[in-house]
Amino acid sequence: MRALNRIVWSIFLLFGGFVIYESLQLSYYGIEFGPGPGFFSFWLGILVIGLSVIEIGRTLRASDPLPEDFVPNWEGLNRILCLLGALVATVFLMDPLGYKLTTLAFCVFLLRALAGLSWWLTLLISLASSFGLFYIFRTLQVLLPTGWLGL
Amino acid sequence: METFQHLMTGFGVALSLKNLLFATIGCLLGTLIGLLPGLGPAAGTALLIPITFKLEPTPAIIMLAAIYYGAMYGGTITSVLINVPGEAASVVTCLDGYEMAKRGRAGAALGVAAIGSFVGGTAATFGLVLMALPLARFALRFGPPEYFSLLLVGLSLVMALAGRSLPKALMMGITGLVFSLVGVDPVEGAPRFTFGITPLLDGIRFVPVVMGFFGIGEILLNAEKSLVGVMAGEGRVTSFLPERGEWPICLGSILRGTGLGFFLGLIPGTNSAVAAFMSYAIEKKVSTRPEAFGTGVIEGVAAPETANNAYANAALIPLFTLGLPGSPTIAILMGALIMNGLTPGPLLFQQHATFVWAVIASLYIGNVILLVLNLPLVGWWAKLLKIPYQVLVVLILIFCIIGAYSLNNSVFDIGVMIICGILGYIFKKLDFPLAPAILTLILGPLMERSLRESLSLSQGSYGIFFTRPISLVFLIITAAILATSAWQALPSAIREESKEAQV
Repeated sequence: MRALNRIVWSIFLLFGGFVIYESLQLSYYGIEFGPGPGFFSFWLGILVIGLSVIEIGRTLRASDPLPEDFVPNWEGLNRILCLLGALVATVFLMDPLGYKLTTLAFCVFLLRALAGLSWWLTLLISLASSFGLFYIFRTLQVLLPTGWLGL
Repeated sequence: METFQHLMTGFGVALSLKNLLFATIGCLLGTLIGLLPGLGPAAGTALLIPITFKLEPTPAIIMLAAIYYGAMYGGTITSVLINVPGEAASVVTCLDGYEMAKRGRAGAALGVAAIGSFVGGTAATFGLVLMALPLARFALRFGPPEYFSLLLVGLSLVMALAGRSLPKALMMGITGLVFSLVGVDPVEGAPRFTFGITPLLDGIRFVPVVMGFFGIGEILLNAEKSLVGVMAGEGRVTSFLPERGEWPICLGSILRGTGLGFFLGLIPGTNSAVAAFMSYAIEKKVSTRPEAFGTGVIEGVAAPETANNAYANAALIPLFTLGLPGSPTIAILMGALIMNGLTPGPLLFQQHATFVWAVIASLYIGNVILLVLNLPLVGWWAKLLKIPYQVLVVLILIFCIIGAYSLNNSVFDIGVMIICGILGYIFKKLDFPLAPAILTLILGPLMERSLRESLSLSQGSYGIFFTRPISLVFLIITAAILATSAWQALPSAIREESKEAQV
């Protein structure tokens, strides 16, 4: 676990360096008296680096193993990848296909992959969550995308 | 007297048919969200913010507040019936609530939870009424240095109490602050950390971050294991009242839970789970039958549920009077207020008195609605719990997608939500607390502005924070909090190292 923590704090160290670098591109002092846009972020970057160095130092002294359930099993990993894959696909499909078709595909895929529902139940829930919710939200004046097909 | 008049005006507004309707819908939706495993009040409230977009500020906040405490109660139902807590505060309810349900007393467990929640919530709202004006008037003395120092107190408490490791909590707080700087600089208009990406000019919105951290992150964690709850007693719910001999015990537990929940609600950084766990521990300590706890004793449900709801209502006091959110859910309410053009803090009582008193009055009404609606509907809620979790997950994700998209009609926010979901999942696995990041994300702009205004006033001198008495007191409190938690962490670290040296 400590080895993993060391990696995490090293990433934070890099993050702190990046924040300082970006802050230096902005003015440290303001137009009038007082600090400018880069002031606050500069000192936050310093804090990130300071904290990371202290924690990396603490993790260098000994090591302990990862908790048993830290890495998910294959089934769990498969479910996580299914969920993330469907979500990422939604980002890319939402504008071209519109809400209704995208979430229809999203629901059909996940309900079959995760819940293993029958086709007719999958279709029923998917249609309600895609077409049904689209019209409910439209009555609430929340407009969802219709895509290139205007659907 | 003045407070009473304001409160009556508030009731006049809150009791309008429209606002009553929104409070009722909020209670129902909140309970529904609370029922869903993996979605606590924070993600639930954030998820339902888009529904309030087209409403005026008063009904919008009344509805969101109702969602907030409805979600608190919803978590209780799953804890009692299927031993799956909807959120952290309900974990302790499982211990005795589920055992009661297994013995066919689910109704009594849910009934005493509803009564305790009602008493705790109502008493805490009464405290809010009494404390609101004096606290707000005191806070009117605050200038930018005092406000900055006060924010430091709040954040240091959040970081000190948020997790087992202070450095991890500090890092999460700082990360939230860095994220809050993304966008256009509020004073000079210079773009910061935008990398030429146009949507980032508007900054990182808190709603997709909250939905990612608390919604998607939690779902990914649950997806690791197949989460199937076993309905106790087939979900049959009969008599809602405790037995005659149990009333005196329940009454004592409810009173103690109310006091503790109210007190903890005033302290930023605590959360309703802390209130629930502490009240359970206190009940066990004062009980004449401590060995029976965990086997289905009614005070094991009454006390934590009361404390949980008293906390939820009392936590609104620092928000409304000082503009200081103490927990992620309260921070989300603060964000919703800001989205509606209302800045929480002492000026809220001067500039938007009708609004704030209507919301306070609606808390009373909401507690009644919750009591009246939830007991008869428990059977229906139990039926909903029979829907497979995998199906619920898909529906939750769709609401997350709609919520994130409808903020700005942009898929960019869905992307932010997914990235934050992955980060939330990783941070939870690594035991990094998420609450400090959410609070600083929302408070970051206020904090930066008050720091820069203070330094402009003093022409760049940091002495301004130490020469003004109120600010100095806040800074001393901040230093004391951080020093105490660092000191508390020290002995365990030393013990750990000496053990390792022996091995």
